[in-house]
Amino acid sequence: MTDTEYEADVTVDSRDATCPGPLMDLIGRVRQADPGTVIELQTSDSSSKTDVPEWVDEAGHELRGVEERDDYWSVFVEIT
Amino acid sequence: MTGYAFVLASGRLERLQAVGNIASIAAASEIPVAVFATMDGLEAFDTDRVESLNFEMGPVAEAMVTSDDVEVPLFTESLARAKELGPISLYACELSMDALDKEIDEYADLFDDVLGVSGFLKRADDKQVVFV
Repeated sequence: MTDTEYEADVTVDSRDATCPGPLMDLIGRVRQADPGTVIELQTSDSSSKTDVPEWVDEAGHELRGVEERDDYWSVFVEIT
Repeated sequence: MTGYAFVLASGRLERLQAVGNIASIAAASEIPVAVFATMDGLEAFDTDRVESLNFEMGPVAEAMVTSDDVEVPLFTESLARAKELGPISLYACELSMDALDKEIDEYADLFDDVLGVSGFLKRADDKQVVFV
């Protein structure tokens, strides 16, 4: 169990995938999610860590936060 | 303008990868995309070429192909996934096919139609054209 200040309803594991994989994984999951759902996207791709929040902003969802783990990042997105 | 129309005329892998990434993210974000593969850009979709990764490429694309650490999706994989997620259409250039006496089934199974220039321009008239 990882210590985190965010609680996710759904976890999308995109570790080891590179751009555009993590964002495509997230978008695919966002399509199925109800408003209020919090998705944790796990990515080891540094560029996705910065680019995914840009997409979240453009798509009108809410970025709850980005947490750095030992060898990946967790991006928390709340669906609006 | 609603979306992007990529004219993909290059067979170099770094350019194919860039188009694959940008077009895929756009389509998955519900931004309409059309891709017109022409000249060497169409030849890059030849199934044998895709299978053997037989592309001209610069250092960045070479690093992507040879990396042991990460899994980099090929442009064909990104585009296939984009077709599942959003509004993207791919068109093969008839002139380029005729020049090599090829049929559409010799290319990756991604194309929606075979078109000439006029046919593509008609489908691109409401989009921003990006030439690669």
